[in-house]
Amino acid sequence: MTGIPTRILWVFALLVLAALPQVLSVKYYLHLSILALIWVVVAQGQNLIQGFTGYVSIVQAGFMGIGAYSSTLIGLHFHWPLWATIAIAPLITALFALATGYPSLRVKGHYFAIVTLAFNLIIVIVLVNYSELTRGEAGISNIPKPWSGDREAYYYFALTLAAALTLLAAMTARSRVGEIMLAIRQNEDLVAAVGIAAWKYKLFAFVISAMYAGLGGALYAHFQGFINPEIFGVAQSLDAILAVILGGSGTIAGPAIGAFLVVFLPELLRFADGFRLILYGLILVLATIFMPIGIVGIAKSVAARFTPREARHG
Amino acid sequence: MLIEILQQTINGLAIGGVYVLIALGLTTVFGILGIAHFAHGSISMSGGYLTYFLVTGQGLPVLAAIPIALAVGVLLGLLVEMLAYRPVRHANHINAFIVALGLTMMVEGLNLQLFGHEQVVIPTGLGRIIRLGGITMPELRLYVILAAIVLVAAMMIFVERTKTGQAIRAVAENRDAAILMGVNVQMIPLIVFGMSTALGVAAGIMVGALFAIAPGIGEGLVVKGFAVLILGGLGSFPGAILGGTVLGITESIAAGFISSAYKDVIAFVVMILVLLIRPQGLLGRAP
Repeated sequence: MTGIPTRILWVFALLVLAALPQVLSVKYYLHLSILALIWVVVAQGQNLIQGFTGYVSIVQAGFMGIGAYSSTLIGLHFHWPLWATIAIAPLITALFALATGYPSLRVKGHYFAIVTLAFNLIIVIVLVNYSELTRGEAGISNIPKPWSGDREAYYYFALTLAAALTLLAAMTARSRVGEIMLAIRQNEDLVAAVGIAAWKYKLFAFVISAMYAGLGGALYAHFQGFINPEIFGVAQSLDAILAVILGGSGTIAGPAIGAFLVVFLPELLRFADGFRLILYGLILVLATIFMPIGIVGIAKSVAARFTPREARHG
Repeated sequence: MLIEILQQTINGLAIGGVYVLIALGLTTVFGILGIAHFAHGSISMSGGYLTYFLVTGQGLPVLAAIPIALAVGVLLGLLVEMLAYRPVRHANHINAFIVALGLTMMVEGLNLQLFGHEQVVIPTGLGRIIRLGGITMPELRLYVILAAIVLVAAMMIFVERTKTGQAIRAVAENRDAAILMGVNVQMIPLIVFGMSTALGVAAGIMVGALFAIAPGIGEGLVVKGFAVLILGGLGSFPGAILGGTVLGITESIAAGFISSAYKDVIAFVVMILVLLIRPQGLLGRAP
């Protein structure tokens, strides 16, 4: 695809998203849209490690939890202003990611996935049991909200951050670092063979993706005003993976579309009630078997088919 | 103190046996097909649930319910292989893993729909407690340990001594050469899935009899199973046996002496330490 139509699509999408709160009459949809924007941040982070580097991490929700609890607890105990706590949340998450990424990245493929999943379990166990600090399973309520809880203002705040971080992900992907990340996904041994320390780039991708998740977690905490350990369990980490797969792994638009899907799809499946989990799993299996390139991948190949041959090279 | 350590070690052997059975199933599927079969735990729990249902709902004796549960479990394993894993056989390995995650959701959802949210315990009627010196040993735990040993031995004999077992090992060793030698490679995945699911269901029944089955238990168990593989060395049978036993005993001692709330954390910390010091696992071959 040529660059210009893609750019027009992006501007169009941003305009639609900016106009959304003025159009939506049902307050609940605004609520879901804010959650979806927070998930855009998380999914863009997941895409950096899963889509570009080829390492499926299953700890994203755990990192969201670290971001959410960091921001909340620092505000609660040290009385920092809300903006400062949100800003420091990804940095604290990055420290955890450095410590966990080093051992995890010593194994590849599935085993990396399993080790990160174990970290997610550990994070939840600690959040549940270290109740002197985290108040355990009951969770923390009355977390301060900016703009005294005005949803529309928070929507634009989340939209700005989601857009900026999507842009940052795009820039990272196009940089030399991004190229090396892609090369690692395709052939890690070759990367090492040409004298590039692959582990540095893997760790970089892992830590950045954790920072996205940490910020997403902090945004979640100050939007909902309530957090507990269950919210940051493995199931939510799977949602981050699903967002990337459904939207289009290794693309920039994919995780953004996927994030909206994982927030709105369960709402649409509400009719299925008890069968929701089964249906959700089925969608994941079918999507992986029949459309592993995701919605964006399919859109791209359809667009390529309808583009005249000369224009494609232009 | 010494008695207490000995007691916890024996306690750990039973859960260690469960881990060994789960890990053997996972390691066979991984070693031969290269699939991280994440749905293994949830499918194993379906077998446990089914046993419970047959015993309490249908009034079957436990010994009659177990073979039925094993058969249904094996069938489920074959279906999963044919319908879900076979289509992604030649795709990127990540795809098979994501399919496995989706399957896990489906099986967990199915378990919830069929058997409910409540935790269930399979009634075995084995309540006697054996005392030896200062050590106590529930009769049930002894049977679980014995059953685990028998199953592991049966599987080792099958893989080492029979022609089918040789074919399986041949495919694991060198797929192309095995095809050239006339091994039916379409059948191997089915046999492997059938065998590992049977071991898994046996483990699920043990969990249901020793502790309880509840939503989420299967997922926790499969993660432990993978921790055992990492501990023992990927694709290694002796590694899975050693790793599972070590993990069971470590957890039991940690729960007794440190904290039961953090026993899972301790298991994972052991796994991570092994990764740092010996990434190929205790008995794994150096890469």
